[in-house]
Parts: sequence; structure tokens; C-alpha cells
Amino acid sequence: MLEKYAILPCNGLDKCAGVISGEIAKKLCEGKKNEIICPVFYRVAETKYNKMAGEHPVLVIDGCQTRCASKLAAEKNIKISRKVTITEEAKAHNVKINNNLRLLENENALIEIILTALNKTEDKLTIIHAEPSGIYDFEYDTYQHGKFIFRVPRNPEIYYNENDCWAYIIGNHARVGVTDYVQQNLSDILYFTPPDIGGIIDQFGDVGEIESSKSVFELISPVSGKVISINETLVQKPELINENPYELGWMVEIELTDIEGDKELLIGFDKYFEIMKKKVEDLNG
Amino acid sequence: MSELKVGVLSCSGEECLGGTISRLATRQVLEELKMVTTVTLCLPLYLAGGQEERNFAKVFPTISVDGCDKLCAKRSTEKYSGKITGFIDVSKIIGKENALNTKIVRNKDLTDEHLQMVDDVASEIVKMISQMSPDSYEGKSFRGCSCGSE
Repeated sequence: MLEKYAILPCNGLDKCAGVISGEIAKKLCEGKKNEIICPVFYRVAETKYNKMAGEHPVLVIDGCQTRCASKLAAEKNIKISRKVTITEEAKAHNVKINNNLRLLENENALIEIILTALNKTEDKLTIIHAEPSGIYDFEYDTYQHGKFIFRVPRNPEIYYNENDCWAYIIGNHARVGVTDYVQQNLSDILYFTPPDIGGIIDQFGDVGEIESSKSVFELISPVSGKVISINETLVQKPELINENPYELGWMVEIELTDIEGDKELLIGFDKYFEIMKKKVEDLNG
Repeated sequence: MSELKVGVLSCSGEECLGGTISRLATRQVLEELKMVTTVTLCLPLYLAGGQEERNFAKVFPTISVDGCDKLCAKRSTEKYSGKITGFIDVSKIIGKENALNTKIVRNKDLTDEHLQMVDDVASEIVKMISQMSPDSYEGKSFRGCSCGSE
């Protein structure tokens, strides 16, 4: 990290991961030019931190999937340059974090792993995981029709359109993919054609396609913005969309430009679940 | 089954030493003093819209522990969950100059002086919780469920 960063940790006291986020932020400031954005004081008095975030790239450190720091950054319209989520890193590096708030051997080892990765990374504006694991441990509701079971994640940060595509909002980014309904109807997916990185996408614009022996399906983006990343693994392993459409099968990551406006035309879990059930019934009788 | 609970909402700030001390003292109450009646509420989550945290503070008696006289935790609790049962301003215990010291202190760098501050604040939290009785506040219950039911 050659450049000075403004670091926004979640600093939570709810889980050990929050404590780790604070510790990493402090370590990154030791003897360096980096500065911490206090996630609590930022809510109360934003001028100082708005200035800091405007002048320097922002590194967001979330403890867990609740992503309080990312949400705060989104609320304040901060452009996130780099992002780390402690629980994802722990999973990626197979480190088990304890359930209390103490930093013990495992937690300290994870801190060192993350710090090393951050310090090694070239000073360019990238997210640490360009190809993140995509494992979120969503909670799913299911609908069974005959032998088919359709899963839909119940998560307030996931929005759907009626074209059976989803967007998982993470700060000012969104991961986009297709629902279980699509993958089951297509059956074995053979090809994933991603969009160009850097392309500007309108809400409900095409943002890639998938093809099975049955048909071709165009991914209709629930959100507008700029394509910043694609799930390259799917090019070689499109079957991941069949296996796990909401997590490993995410397709495109988009930097959001008007999420509040986009949300007006999107639906949440409850409504999508009902729409999907009706489609299943209509299709299969 | 309903349980006896008191929420503690700590400043959790990184702006100055007061935040660090308030956070460590709250953890000490929970982890070392093992006050079984105490539940820590995560202020960043609370502020980010965590409904469980907000509902808890609406239903159960909750005290805030603030690092400085900006009282972020107290003000937030009152904004989202109504009247607070009690509050501690750490700067009044450890001194304003100490509380507002902006030098970042990591756990491994804590001095005996810092640890004494943590002990002092933790004692105040315990004292405040111990002095609470069901009659000392209005509209909240020692027993119930954070979903809002009694």
C-alpha cells in the first residue's frame, strides 16, 4: 500500500470479526500515513471524514456479511477502492474465528495473513478478491413442485427483477446472477458469455448470457452501473450456475450508479418468491 | 423463556482514546466480570439499521458507554430506541484530556495506566447495572424478548 488510504473498519462489538477489523485498521496506521475513519463518529459529524474520503482512496474492512462499514460507505456516497470482509477471508484461508471477542492465535494469524496480502498488493484501485469465493452462507427458503425444489435466498440485500435475475448489493457494488428458477429450466448450462469489463449497463440491460442445450438466456441486469468484474471461473465451469446460482454462480459485479432509483423497479424476497411459485405452477401445471 | 437482561451500548469509536477505553471496559464487563445479565449491543450495527439491536434497546433497559462528551452512543440510542436507562461518559472518569487523546492505541500497547482506566470504567458500568431496579425507569422491562413481546 504505497498510497495513503482512508480506512473504514466496521469496528463492531457484535462478533470477533468486528474486533479483527478494528485491529487491522490500527495496524495499517502504524508508522504509515493511513488514517482511520471512525464508523461511529462519522454518523455524527461527517465533514472531517467526507474530506478524508474525498482526498484518499478508501479501504473498507467489514467484519461479517452484515457489512455495516460498506453500508455506511454507501450511505455517505463514498467510492470504495478496496474492500476486505473478515469472515470471507477467514473462510478463504481456512481459519476458524472464535465466538468471543478476544484475539487469540487464530485471529492474530488471520490478521497477519490479511495485512500481508494488503501490503503486497500493488497500489492500484482493486478489490482484494477480484474473484471472490462467492460463498455467503445465505439462508434459503424453498418451494417444492413435484421433484423440483426451487431455492431463493432470504436476504434483505438481494433484490430481484421479474426476469428472474438477482442483484446482491454490497456497498456501492452489486453482484448479479440468475435465480434457481432459471438454472432449473435451462438444465445443464454449457456456456457463459460475460460482458466487457468497463462497459456501462442500464438497468434491465443485457449483461451477459448463458446457454444450455435447451436455450439461451440473457442476463437482464437488475441494476445500472459499470461492469467492474466478472466471475471468470464460470467461463471454464459454467455448471457452477446450476450447482449454486446465488453464490458460486454469481456472474457479474457492477459498480452502482443509481441504486436508489434502481430499487424502485426491483422486488424483494417475498414478492419474488410468490412470482416464482406462480411461474413454476404455470409452467408445470 | 424470558430472561433478565440489560443492554450495554458502547461507543466503539476510533476517534480518540475514550472510545478504546469504553470498548475494552464493556468487553471486560461481559467477558471477565461475566455479568450474565448483560448483553453488549454493537453500535456500528445499531447505527447501520440493525433491527435486533434497536428492538433490544426499546424493550430492555439499556445503558450507553460513551468515550467522550459527544455522546454518540447515548444520542443514537435515544434517537432509535427511545429513552435510555443510564449513560456513562468515560471522559468524566478518565479525564477529558485522556479521553480526547487521538493517538491510536492497540491492545498490545496498553499501559498499566490504560488498564487502570479500563478497570475504573468497567466498575462504573457494573455499579450502574447493579443499582438498576425495575422501578428505576419507565416503559421498559427487565424481562421479555427482543422481538418486542413481553
